[in-house]
Amino acid sequence: MTEYVSPFDERVRPEQPLAPRSAQISGLRITLLDIRKNRGAEFLDRIETLLQAEGAITTRETKEIFSKPAALDLVDNLTRVSDAVVEALAD
Amino acid sequence: MAVEQHIRNGPSGRAPELLVSGLTPDPVTIQTLTEGGCALLLFVNEECLTSALAMRELGPLCQDWEKAGLSCTAVFEDPLEVAIRVARRQGWTGRVVSQPPPYQTSRAYGLVSVPAAFLIDDGGQLTSSVTGWDQPRITLLIEQAAAITGATLAIPEAREPLRKPGCSSKAALDPAIAAAMEASTNSDEIEEMFERGWTDGLPVVPPTADRVEKMLGRYAGSTSLGEVPPAMGEATLERLAACAVLAGCRPEYFPVVVTAASAALDRRFNLHGQAVTTQPAGQLIVVNGPVRHELGMNSGMGALGPGNRANLTIGRALRLMIELTGGGMPGTLDRSTLGHMGKIGFCIAEAEEASPWEPLHVERGFAAEQSVVTLIGSDAPLSISDHRSRTPEDLAYILAWAAASTWSTNWWPLTDPSVFVICPEHAEMFRAHDWTKRRLRDFMFDAVQKPARDLRRGETTPLVHRSDPGAEVHKWASPDAIILLVAGGEAGRYSAVLGPCTGMGSEIVSAEVEPR
Repeated sequence: MTEYVSPFDERVRPEQPLAPRSAQISGLRITLLDIRKNRGAEFLDRIETLLQAEGAITTRETKEIFSKPAALDLVDNLTRVSDAVVEALAD
Repeated sequence: MAVEQHIRNGPSGRAPELLVSGLTPDPVTIQTLTEGGCALLLFVNEECLTSALAMRELGPLCQDWEKAGLSCTAVFEDPLEVAIRVARRQGWTGRVVSQPPPYQTSRAYGLVSVPAAFLIDDGGQLTSSVTGWDQPRITLLIEQAAAITGATLAIPEAREPLRKPGCSSKAALDPAIAAAMEASTNSDEIEEMFERGWTDGLPVVPPTADRVEKMLGRYAGSTSLGEVPPAMGEATLERLAACAVLAGCRPEYFPVVVTAASAALDRRFNLHGQAVTTQPAGQLIVVNGPVRHELGMNSGMGALGPGNRANLTIGRALRLMIELTGGGMPGTLDRSTLGHMGKIGFCIAEAEEASPWEPLHVERGFAAEQSVVTLIGSDAPLSISDHRSRTPEDLAYILAWAAASTWSTNWWPLTDPSVFVICPEHAEMFRAHDWTKRRLRDFMFDAVQKPARDLRRGETTPLVHRSDPGAEVHKWASPDAIILLVAGGEAGRYSAVLGPCTGMGSEIVSAEVEPR
């Protein structure tokens, strides 16, 4: 049997389960994350209005730039202060 | 048969000679192995985890044992290239030899299972053996060796598991079955690579263990360059070497591939964004310095096209790392709408000798005699013909305006770098009139501007929208967004501009190539 060296990282990574979903919006702390993609903020404005009408307590955050992963301190802060996060992708 | 009988009853008698091959053509004999005092033979095979355990525990001690007169030899029941790879992976620092089916040496030593350790004294007599992993018995064996050599020998640390049963020796199999197990089942290796998904869509060179070993050379395969986005697979040098083999690289190209991969994984380059964007973004590798000549790279005729193995395969190796190790394969995590041909491989060498200017790496702070790789996120080349200009001003104007529609017709200014590849005949025009790079950049920057009102159709920038209608807007945010290289054949007046990869916050990254 010919021995080959795989170019793939063959490690099996544990599947990350989805966070539990809330049954209602009222009273939830929801962060709207603007990734700085063109016109994403406009989309978030509309979503924020709808969420507030449902009784959500909203805050806004922005990424440094849409094309890079979010900074870890931003992610840490989101998990600390939010029950849910809405991230907008637009163009 | 007499020896086998002795072994079954406890090791005694003369040690059978070894029918094995090693790294050098010199025969491996019991006499040469014992001439320092005595010899330890450790029979192992690749599939056996207990063999791996024994090599890990004993391997780091081998070098000191050798100096004290106890030679250490791992006798593999595997092909030599497998043996070398496995031994290195397990930290075995002693000699490595391999025996082919039907494993006559294992049979001569009466092996039923591996690992099996044998101590042979200076008279070539078997004095002790241990089967499986048994730290207390191995300790006794080493103490016997110490008594023979008269030296103090370190003993393997006593840690769990102290004992572990071995695995079946391949010599214990029916010879016909053993031979069949070793035989290749691949009727077509090239097709198998496609079945495994180890390709960018073109045929590849199968990354056999021995090819990867040769590609690695002095590099340690376990060294990691970091995680490759977007799927964050770990770029060990062994995997990168596999990509280089797949791409068709020769081993002497590997230092350039390693440097290019390191530069691409530098966070400032933001490969993550480039690997998944809907843009066509390719990763342009520019090679400067003596390594261009050492590898026979082409910076002349057809420098951006086919024909040169080093140019094509170095660029392809980086792309295969991104696609295979990093999971950035078009149609899966790479979401590029169209892509471009440079995403198969995009590597050029600068024609420094034909340039009137300091080469790119010197501009970026390196010495001319250093070999340097520079990574630039880049769009596909757009050719610029100019056979009529008779002044540097006219030529600079034509070159600059060719870039006016790169990225998007009305997207002014560009903040990310545009790369101009200036052909030698065009470069000669600037040399003849003593134009420096700075002068050419400044001229090109000033040449391409329009009133904001003329840029307000379709995709345009916030700057255009907030400017007064009559305000002039430049194509580039700064003259420094214009990168100038020289390459191409000595005849023909075709330069090229490579539009930028925009919105990535991607910086140009340069790194020196370490000698092989």
